[in-house]
Amino acid sequence: MINNRIEYDFVLVGGGPSSFALAHHLVDLASKNNTKFTMAILEKGKEFGSHIVSGAVSDLRVIQKLFPDYKSTDFPMEGICNESFFSILGNEKKWDVPNFLLPDGLKKEGCAILTLSHVIYWMYNKLKEKISKNPNIQIDFFTGFSAHKVIFKEDKIIGVQVVEQSYEEDPDNTVYGKVTCFGDKGFLSRDVIEKYKLRDNPQIWSIGVKEVWQLNERKDFSGKVWHTMGFPLIDGSFGGGFIYGMRDHKLTIGMVISLDSENPNINPQQRLQDLKKHPWIQEMIKDGKMLKYGAAVLPEGGYYSLPKKFAVEGGLLLGDALGILDIERLSGIDKGMESGYQAAEVLYEALIKNDFSETPLSKYKERLMTSFVVKELKAGRYFRFAWQENPRLLKSYLPILMDNIDHTNPYLGFLKIGLKNNPIKAIIDGIRLKILMDGYEVGPVKYKFDYQNIIPNFNPDKKIKTENYIKETIYSRPDAVFYAKTKYHEGNMHIDEFNADVCLKCIKTYDALGKDTPCVSDCTAEVHRIDIISGKRMHGMSLENCIQCRTCEIVCPEVNLRVRPTMEGSGPDFMGL
Amino acid sequence: MGDIQNIFVLIKQVPDQSSKAGINPDGTIDRARAKRMLNPFDRYALQAALHTKKTYGGKVTAISMGPPAAVEILLEALEHSVDKCYLLSDKRLAASDTLATAYALHKVIKYAGDFDLIFCGLQTTDGDTAQVGPQIAERLNLPQVSYCEDFKIEETKVIAKRVVEGGYEWVKMQIPGLITVANSYHPLEYKTLRGARMVQHLLRNEEEKTNYIKIITLDDIKADPVKCGLKGSPTIVARTDKVSEIGGSCIVYQGLPAEQMVSNLVKNTNLPEFIKS
Repeated sequence: MINNRIEYDFVLVGGGPSSFALAHHLVDLASKNNTKFTMAILEKGKEFGSHIVSGAVSDLRVIQKLFPDYKSTDFPMEGICNESFFSILGNEKKWDVPNFLLPDGLKKEGCAILTLSHVIYWMYNKLKEKISKNPNIQIDFFTGFSAHKVIFKEDKIIGVQVVEQSYEEDPDNTVYGKVTCFGDKGFLSRDVIEKYKLRDNPQIWSIGVKEVWQLNERKDFSGKVWHTMGFPLIDGSFGGGFIYGMRDHKLTIGMVISLDSENPNINPQQRLQDLKKHPWIQEMIKDGKMLKYGAAVLPEGGYYSLPKKFAVEGGLLLGDALGILDIERLSGIDKGMESGYQAAEVLYEALIKNDFSETPLSKYKERLMTSFVVKELKAGRYFRFAWQENPRLLKSYLPILMDNIDHTNPYLGFLKIGLKNNPIKAIIDGIRLKILMDGYEVGPVKYKFDYQNIIPNFNPDKKIKTENYIKETIYSRPDAVFYAKTKYHEGNMHIDEFNADVCLKCIKTYDALGKDTPCVSDCTAEVHRIDIISGKRMHGMSLENCIQCRTCEIVCPEVNLRVRPTMEGSGPDFMGL
Repeated sequence: MGDIQNIFVLIKQVPDQSSKAGINPDGTIDRARAKRMLNPFDRYALQAALHTKKTYGGKVTAISMGPPAAVEILLEALEHSVDKCYLLSDKRLAASDTLATAYALHKVIKYAGDFDLIFCGLQTTDGDTAQVGPQIAERLNLPQVSYCEDFKIEETKVIAKRVVEGGYEWVKMQIPGLITVANSYHPLEYKTLRGARMVQHLLRNEEEKTNYIKIITLDDIKADPVKCGLKGSPTIVARTDKVSEIGGSCIVYQGLPAEQMVSNLVKNTNLPEFIKS
């Protein structure tokens, strides 16, 4: 039983929705025809779901394909959205944008409200159950094992190593596969993308922070979904809030903020606290209790950040590694799952023909290009660009609209946007926004790396007002970490700082401006700090707080940080997020 | 090099500290509702046993007592390349205190055969008594080293470093003997993928699993049921008080010289006057 080489037909890196969709569909296909295969699933969390955090409101189109009878099972759902709103928040009031003005992607009625960590745990148990009576299929589940190094042989991916920095090959900790599927958030797939130079246009990211609240029993918002813009983001950063009503009097409150912001001090966790200070949200949570906190990055580049190839010799990219989240429709889970579903079809064919070379695997890209995944990404390909190319939209127009929501009415706000600015320009801006959102061709888009947008001496023109909130509903960053339940093994060192002098210089720059460095301010979990060591202000890290969102790596202006996946199942416990 | 053949390690499953354990109406822990984990102190004992195997040879046998779910920690031990496991599981053992537990476990050890060394954790996180290891040594008439922080084996003796108040002491112990391992010993090395894969294989092959994990009852070890469980336990839990939930607020002082941070901390904290001055 114990061969010298640990080998499987397929190795899945990461136990997320795309990986489990792949595994389920491949098991279904193979079971029908009594095909044999072996598979290993690696997950860095201590159990499946413990490193999973998502909104989450999702279309069930792929769940329906994978589990046609899901309704009659114990599939975990927080409810079906029966009322969906897109609201612009002023300092005090909110305006629900009428339905006829909304793009279809924002109408979430009929979608499921999910706790994705629970869904993943359910998919894992379902998969175990499915294969338990099938001796032809062997799937080994490795929780607490993160892939650290891709093993290349010439130009081919042949497996991954699950321990850090070992110079010689460690046969007890290396797993080989005919095809290795990467479903990670970039921890490892970035090496694949770099090696094969798959991306001309960089991936751009946003950070999502989320809290789950237990509300007073008299309050029930189940089935209600709000997406918000405006308050508290008036510094020109792209992003907004989300509030989802769940069953058992629970509420999800979260924010997604794009990391291509000019502001070096976003502090996403504190922006979420600001959102919670809004009177409308205060009313919901004032007599409630926070249960959980978590954060994760989202790939936002969409169509123009897609890699040139979706599969290479011996490897293929799934879900967030591929970057198929659709920020216009706020749809990532279903697209991730579809990528797994289509990958399973391709891998099954390869299995039957016993040909795992790049040629049969390249059909994976063809399949996704013609599926709803890339079709929808293409339709929304200018969405992020529209807000990037015209900073007036968020910096000048939005605050005017917010002001009018508070004091007069929103339609007057639109008029004021014209009056306070150049009316012709404002109208042209409006038409241009509409054209881009509707997807009229204006040529390809080139992104910068997120950190390249940072303006160190950036000062927001306006500040939000927050008064009259209940102190007990607001959490400092170190307090929030408590609700992410981090736990680390002794000797954990999972963030690399390449050059201490570079940090010294960066700290000096930001000190002179009276600001925090981006790593300190944008950390979602009180990891990065400034230490004074023999009179010098140096960069320090409290790694035991890290919830592994990878924001610091993305916003570091000097590209001087690298977050590696942690070992030994360490990290946060996002179960319930 | 000593000639070590058999190494025993005693491990226990405890409620996971990071999850909220339920409390029974009588104040005891509702183990069925709590998430479970390997007692953190036992990780050091396991490391000591595996280190002994690696350095001096021999086979490691893990022994546990608990409900059927305790098999989970034995599987975990197998992932760490333990060779064999025994689980003593019997309803008649419910509510055993340290006296009854040590009685039952010493019977399991006798049942499991010859040994050179027995390793135990310092204590458990659910009972925190630190009595079971020493009691077993007494029942088996064995020499013992408690609070062992480090050790080496020379000929037929263990030379052990013990933590004592204000420092440590070196002691020699004749083999066979029992050692309770302090939590200042080396942390448990992480399991290998190969070890985890072996357990995945066992989970698919129930029959093969029984070669590695033997589940036994009081009848197998010929233990007197009267000396076990509630009947054999003179300890009475008189009362349990629920302390308030952890919470409150945390302020991190940073980015200033240490003296200034301390003075800010003192200024902003309600400390008794004598500490402030």
